[in-house]
Amino acid sequence: MLCDECKKNPATIFFKEVLPGKTVELHLCESCAHKRGLMTAKKMSPIEILQKLLKEKSAHDEQTICPGCYMTLAEFKRVGRFGCSKCVRSFESYIKNLLKQIHQSDKHIGRTLSPGEKKGIEVFKLREELKKALENEAYEEAAKIRDKLRKFGIDNVE
Amino acid sequence: MSNKILENIKWFTQNSKASREDDLEIIVSSRIRIARNIDDVPFEIKMKKQDSQRLITLVKSVLETKLRGRFVDMQQITPLEKESLFECHLISPAFIKKEKPAGVFITDTGNISIMINEEDHLRIQGLSRGLDFINILSEVFNVEEIIGADLGYAFDETYGFITSCPTNFGTGLRVSVLLHLPGLVFTNEVEKVLKGAIQIGMTVRGIYGEGSGIKGNLFQISNQHTLGLKEEDVIETITKLTHMIIDIEKKARDVILTKARNEFEDKIFRSLAVLRSARMVNTEEVLNLLSAVRLGVGAGIVRDVTLNTINEILIISRPANIQLYFGEILEERDRDVKRAEYIRKRLGGNGD
Repeated sequence: MLCDECKKNPATIFFKEVLPGKTVELHLCESCAHKRGLMTAKKMSPIEILQKLLKEKSAHDEQTICPGCYMTLAEFKRVGRFGCSKCVRSFESYIKNLLKQIHQSDKHIGRTLSPGEKKGIEVFKLREELKKALENEAYEEAAKIRDKLRKFGIDNVE
Repeated sequence: MSNKILENIKWFTQNSKASREDDLEIIVSSRIRIARNIDDVPFEIKMKKQDSQRLITLVKSVLETKLRGRFVDMQQITPLEKESLFECHLISPAFIKKEKPAGVFITDTGNISIMINEEDHLRIQGLSRGLDFINILSEVFNVEEIIGADLGYAFDETYGFITSCPTNFGTGLRVSVLLHLPGLVFTNEVEKVLKGAIQIGMTVRGIYGEGSGIKGNLFQISNQHTLGLKEEDVIETITKLTHMIIDIEKKARDVILTKARNEFEDKIFRSLAVLRSARMVNTEEVLNLLSAVRLGVGAGIVRDVTLNTINEILIISRPANIQLYFGEILEERDRDVKRAEYIRKRLGGNGD
């Protein structure tokens, strides 16, 4: 494959840019990639960017607390890991910028869960309860649990 | 024990319909993993020992009723067995070092593993010989759905799947391909090709991941970004990149084999001869010798060795695997002896 730009040298750089409404794909040789400024700066990896950003402290880090797990923003900056699923919203203004710098995006566009699937460990608990109810031959109780399970879109409960 | 390791890697040593046979020499394997957490359960860093144990019990009970496979409790196996699972690509290096309760479920097919209590509650991983992202992705999502039917995932409309580390936010998806590129290494083109990969958001590592160094002309390319990208787009980008690299690799080989045919045939057959005759051989030497033989098989120069055999040797000759294969704890020197013995046996070697 020849370079899309000079049409002379073999293309060794595959370049893809996603722009609103279209995707540009280019196959370039090294010298044309240089000319376009694509090969200049050494890119930092997401982990390197994260480590750099975690070092930036601010005044309210100790007072910003996640109600889900009691992690403070200061603690997050020390360990670089979230304590629970609520941390992201608890530290949102900080995290939004962090994600933008790491991923060049702050919006998920991939696979989604429908609201019905956001059930935590409820379904599991209900299934366990149902098992117990059936073992104890508490059929009225079992019917109630089945109804609850159906609300999660689960019909075949056995 | 030797049977169990061979069982673990049969996805890698048996024929697959995934790729054309000539590309299988260059595309060694491909891998997909997704990171998931359970919504109501504290994340790894805030988990108490008891939480970790309970999560294992929950996930294990779901998996054992829906999937054929076996569960391995990391606290019940020896350091050597842990190392072996890593050498078979079934668990991550971080997982070996875990002190809290952790476990891995491995399917009977050997190519799907589910790590429980890694950095995230769940790391669901699929492996394939050659390039087979579409099928692995659907197998991985199948497991995700099986667990998700009983346990709800931590998910946010804006930020996608919530993971322990922000670098995995969004899809939680890591896609990687292991490529054998002796042609590009020899023609000195490999660096600029890989620089190109980095420019489009990929990262390049050696065969055993982070910090393992490049050995045996094997390069692992994977995506870095998980937010603002669709799963299919990540797969498409890495697939196109792979095909482009294969194209350049093949051209480099054509040049080498036209200009220096005798020299290369000599190197290939000498490498094969060493593997068939050596009485002691270390891991790194095996990787380099296997690379030459692999190239020979790809170019049709070596006809009496299959890629399946080369793949098996690649994994079984690793330090922990070779000990488990022979069922004994061996010092480094003795490993080199046993490794040479195993390889001679597999390649129909001399003087035994």
